[in-house]
Amino acid sequence: MSDLVLHDDDLDEDCYRARLFLSLLGLEARRVAVDVVPGGEQDGPAFRAVSPAGMLPVLRIDGQKVCGAGAVLLALAHGRPEWLPGERADFARVAHWLHFAGGPLRATLLMRRACLFGGAGDAPSARRRAAVGALRIMEDHLAQRRLEGGTWFVGEGATVADVALFPAAALCRDWGEEYSAYPALRRWVRAVRALPGFVGMPGIPDYG
Amino acid sequence: MSVTREGGWYPLMLSADLETGTVAGSAVPGRDLAVWRDGQGRAHVWDDRCPHRGMRLSLGFVREGALACLYHGWRFGAEGRCVHIPAHPDLAPPGTIRTVPLPVAERHGLVWASVGAAGVQPEGDPAMEAAAWLPVRSVRIEAPWRDVARAVGMPEGRRAAVLDRDVDGRVLAALLPVGAGACMLHLLAAAPAGVERLHDLADWGRDVRSRAEERAGRACLAGIVA
Ligand code: FES
Repeated sequence: MSDLVLHDDDLDEDCYRARLFLSLLGLEARRVAVDVVPGGEQDGPAFRAVSPAGMLPVLRIDGQKVCGAGAVLLALAHGRPEWLPGERADFARVAHWLHFAGGPLRATLLMRRACLFGGAGDAPSARRRAAVGALRIMEDHLAQRRLEGGTWFVGEGATVADVALFPAAALCRDWGEEYSAYPALRRWVRAVRALPGFVGMPGIPDYG
Repeated sequence: MSVTREGGWYPLMLSADLETGTVAGSAVPGRDLAVWRDGQGRAHVWDDRCPHRGMRLSLGFVREGALACLYHGWRFGAEGRCVHIPAHPDLAPPGTIRTVPLPVAERHGLVWASVGAAGVQPEGDPAMEAAAWLPVRSVRIEAPWRDVARAVGMPEGRRAAVLDRDVDGRVLAALLPVGAGACMLHLLAAAPAGVERLHDLADWGRDVRSRAEERAGRACLAGIVA
């Protein structure tokens, strides 16, 4: 896996998913910055030539371009059973949470963008309900996992599912949700932070 | 008929959710709190306001037996006194730079804090004393705590009680009001309790949440129609 290149925006939480996983794997990628706010570069012709749908991040790996956080995480996890279990039941569970991260959990990302960049979204809107609902699904799952001694979303150790889900929980204060309402999430966020190779992003300080 | 009691002992969180060397946010009515556990395992509850510039201490971290503020790194020891100022490492901070700790107790698997004059221990009763309590979970509910208290069968005027439920074994439920229209419901099971039993109680907590929020939603709608 030589010459990894990551097209990346420091402030974007999808790009952070990729950076975090690279760092947890101990991999270095050459980073190409994409100026999303205020530059809007993701919609310009130069970047569209790299990522036709304007999706970030983009990872070049083994001569391939992989677009979007979910795809990048999968491409990096391939062949690493500790991060992507090969056994069917656990694989299915990880797939479930990856799909959740790319689906219902997007509500938290939209909510955060609206609060940080759009100046909107503070009202008890449908968007907020969807975002809170997604965090609750994670909280409920982790509360149940704890009863059987589990720390992670799937199985005995951190998987790519935890990486995909992490930023939404770690950044929820940006749109006004406090950990005091999510004690199980709070414990899990601490566990992720303690993983060897953990890195933060603006809004997620990486003190122990 | 109903006893309106503000003040006294509040059940902040499950003891199990406050790990050694960590800090968490909590609140009692009208007052945000930082709750932290030192290296010896002792819990501390302070106002969630740094004596330096008022930033939130619950966003900080625990270092060397002190709570460090995230903003300029001032550290406060267990008694609430400032013990370290990074910008002036050689200075012994004056004793006047301090926060005032709230009375804390850990009983029945919960961290309690007292607001205003009350006993030296949170309310208890023979039923609570009669068992060891295993943490199940805390559930955030977007409904007024009194409605939830009624729904789970909490005795009038109490924030915590052993519930009389038609399931196996006993349940300790504790309610923390959060703002006007929300609360945390903490659930514990009398030991011994198997994993199945704990899961059942966690499921019950979710049911309580959805029913209470549905009722609260309906109440809102009725208000609008009226
Ligand atoms: S505000 Fe806490 S150290 Fe400055």
